Amino acid sequence: MYARTWVRVRSIYGEPLWLVVGIAFPLFTTFGLGFLYRSSGVGALAGFAVLGGIAVSFWSNVVWSMATQFYWDKQEGIFELYLVSPAPVSAILVGMSIGGFVGTAPSALLVGVVGWQVFGSAVTPSWALVATGFVLTIVALYSLGMLLASVYLAYGRQAESLNDSVMQTVSMFSGAYFPSVGSGSPFPVSLQLVVSLIPLTIGMDVLRKAVFSPLTSAFPTVYEDLAILAVLCVVFFVLAQWAIGRMRERGRKKGTLVVRQG
Amino acid sequence: MAIVEVRELKRVFKGKKGESVALERVDLDVKEGEIFGLLGPNGAGKTTLIRILTTLLLPTSGKAAVCGFDVAKEAQKVRRVIGVASGSERPGYDFITARGNLWFFSQLYGISTKEANERIRELSTLLQFKEQLDKKLYMLSTGFRQRVTIARGFVNDPKIVFMDEPTSGLDVITARTIRQFLFDQAKERGRTIFIATHNMVEGETICDRVAIIDKGRVLACDTPAALKKQVGRQVVVMEVGPPQPFTFLNDLRGVSGVSSTIDNEKELATVRILVDDDAVEAQVHRELESKGMKVYASWRQEPTLEEVFIKFVGRGFAESEVVAT
Repeated sequence: MYARTWVRVRSIYGEPLWLVVGIAFPLFTTFGLGFLYRSSGVGALAGFAVLGGIAVSFWSNVVWSMATQFYWDKQEGIFELYLVSPAPVSAILVGMSIGGFVGTAPSALLVGVVGWQVFGSAVTPSWALVATGFVLTIVALYSLGMLLASVYLAYGRQAESLNDSVMQTVSMFSGAYFPSVGSGSPFPVSLQLVVSLIPLTIGMDVLRKAVFSPLTSAFPTVYEDLAILAVLCVVFFVLAQWAIGRMRERGRKKGTLVVRQG
Repeated sequence: MAIVEVRELKRVFKGKKGESVALERVDLDVKEGEIFGLLGPNGAGKTTLIRILTTLLLPTSGKAAVCGFDVAKEAQKVRRVIGVASGSERPGYDFITARGNLWFFSQLYGISTKEANERIRELSTLLQFKEQLDKKLYMLSTGFRQRVTIARGFVNDPKIVFMDEPTSGLDVITARTIRQFLFDQAKERGRTIFIATHNMVEGETICDRVAIIDKGRVLACDTPAALKKQVGRQVVVMEVGPPQPFTFLNDLRGVSGVSSTIDNEKELATVRILVDDDAVEAQVHRELESKGMKVYASWRQEPTLEEVFIKFVGRGFAESEVVAT
């Protein structure tokens, strides 16, 4: 697990361009939306964009590095080296998650610090709620990433297009830069229920409530959000373990584990 | 004692166009400490067999065991005692050094960092890439990358190492270094090496025993010397031009097999013909000339493993690859 964490961190910092992209893209979006809120006369909401920038940094890492990693490893012939070793695949996935988090945290922090300097409102966040919500969101997100890693292995070459559609759709419906669930949401209740299955949606709602409580609705309460996040953590983690085991056995039977496509 | 036991092994792949049989009732025993070569053309079933023995694939029927562990039911135990290296795969992650990659793969086997570092030092010395250890993989030449791949297969101190085309596409010096390393590992360390290859030199120079496999079936299995004795015929090599299909020679009485390699630039073919006696050679000459070809040179050779392959399969590797494409 530790070794895979090390590989992930080294890979992130081994390519300066990836580092720049990881910092610059969320920062640009944060600034764009922050200035839009401010020029529209709702400058107090600009802080939402800062939280969104932080969340999108991690979400990008989950989608592009976690979910697709095994698919790329398979294409490069490295995935089979994991499978012929006695190391549990789940430990490798957890190592990838920790490495992804550690590698992304500095850029997310930079987005947060710079964004807060420019758009920060005079707020007094509930730090305990912020910390709990953040930890649960990260665990749920990376558990979802582990689950997606198995799904992408099964889907093979369609992974890239799947990634593109997942990335943009989730960024939109999870409400990274605006409230997508609760009374401030522009979406109908049925859609809000569906998008609540995305940890990012609930995570963002928790952070918004913890930081800007007067600006957000009372239902669902921040504690209900935290409970949903905790459930999502467990569900995604268990599902990921089940999926990776099933993918492995299915691959051994059908011979799809090492067939390189493309 | 057999470290690998394969009995009645069959593997069928199901695809959209129907079923294809990759392995058909394969029986094999590999002894502890020997270098065992699985010799066959592309598509013969070599890689499928290695994938079953390394737990990547399940057999459709039959049994296979490595170090006494069933590859289907005791996969985790098999994984603890094997090493794997292939000529076509990447040694690891490009943005990490050779040393970093070797350490990383050693950790998949739960080896302590101290022990791993010691093995990395030893393997890089034996495979002569010590100076390249702290370079990132993308900076290494093909030959050094392959040395790292081979080292990776041994970094967990395995009892048996499975290698698929370990010297494929390498220059002569690198290939020789790797062969010498494999030979020493088997003879001095008692490690078993299982090599799938279509490289005749590999089969002849370092393998204690060789199994010839084609279309999923093992056709013969013995020491290279014993297999060559089985040929019991003479080999006539001819340089012929312009190149044409030579399959018609198979129809001549006294010809047991034909293989050819074509040099398109020189418009010349080197034809190897397995003949029963001297009289056949003259007949071959006449047949070639009657087809408008000219024989520029002709000589006799001792049978090689290629002739062994021709005897059992009826064609050479070159022809097999043409068929495969």
